Amino acid sequence: MDKALKNKRIITAAVTGAWPKKENNPNVPMTPSEIADDVYACWKAGAAIAHIHMRDDEGNGTMDHNKFAETVKLLNERYPDCDIIVNMTTSGDIYATDETRVLHVKELKPEMASFDCGSMNWLNFGLFLNSPKFLEMCAQVFKDTNTKPEIECFDPGMIGNAAYYIKKGVLEAPLHFQFCMGCANGITGSVKDLLFMKETADRLIGKDNYTWSAFGVGHSAMEVMYAAIALGGNIRVGMEDNVMYSKGVLAESNAQFVLRAKRVIEEFGCEVATPDEARQILGLKK
Amino acid sequence: MTWGVGFFYYRCPRCGRKFKYAEDLMIYFEDSFGHCPDCGVPGIYVKDGPRGKDDNEYYEVEE
Repeated sequence: MDKALKNKRIITAAVTGAWPKKENNPNVPMTPSEIADDVYACWKAGAAIAHIHMRDDEGNGTMDHNKFAETVKLLNERYPDCDIIVNMTTSGDIYATDETRVLHVKELKPEMASFDCGSMNWLNFGLFLNSPKFLEMCAQVFKDTNTKPEIECFDPGMIGNAAYYIKKGVLEAPLHFQFCMGCANGITGSVKDLLFMKETADRLIGKDNYTWSAFGVGHSAMEVMYAAIALGGNIRVGMEDNVMYSKGVLAESNAQFVLRAKRVIEEFGCEVATPDEARQILGLKK
Repeated sequence: MTWGVGFFYYRCPRCGRKFKYAEDLMIYFEDSFGHCPDCGVPGIYVKDGPRGKDDNEYYEVEE
């Protein structure tokens, strides 16, 4: 990596996810219009990447490619100055088919998209399925569209799965990991857990073969954010993972989370990466 | 994709208060996980899962 970029940290804003609704926090963006406006506000606040999901008209997670297209169109039309990296989910609805999970990637060719590197229970009442067949197909779509996979790992086994896919030629290093901490049925969200994830990636992938980011859901959010910065990682914030800003306080906006992340990064002595700097750090080719 | 915090939702058998505990705080609360914050008695399990429409009806016990 370029020496000038060593001190830069990327903020990803995960603005809506597939779950929280207005009843949980009235400030969660739900429609393409709201999501586009929120992404722009996060970019203004310092986010270099927007990780986006879509909602149907009832507010449930959907992989409707038209919603993704509408959001991107609104973002481009309303905010031509915004150069944020758009990172689209491929896991926005646990009932979606393998095909609908990647249709928007094929059509819109985003710079980044998520790649959930294994299966797990969705809380205690469903399955979050990422079959070998789906992952190999997904990786091929990413190669065809020149989309950088964001390898989401909810436990160390998923890092091992990423190593397997490198050996097999399905994934190509350098990888970019998102360590998803504190999710039910995944690894818990402590400093020790995050260090273990990083050390596992160091062993299995190789220190110079990956970049990484992390976030903590719920009560682990702050601990993981501070630890990620201290360990040299990047961070993800936003209402996909936390609708509360602090104990008993609902978040006012996604930008509020980004501004806090920016303050923490700068107080630590680092700088917040611009989208173009993030493109260099992640090796994006578009 | 994440789904936020998972909760255990309870009702107090003594005072009737509705309350919830985040799953990730099981380690913190140990044996008092699920107890009414006012009466200290074990709550009656109602359900568990992510935040739902009625989430605001349940007080979140955090300390």
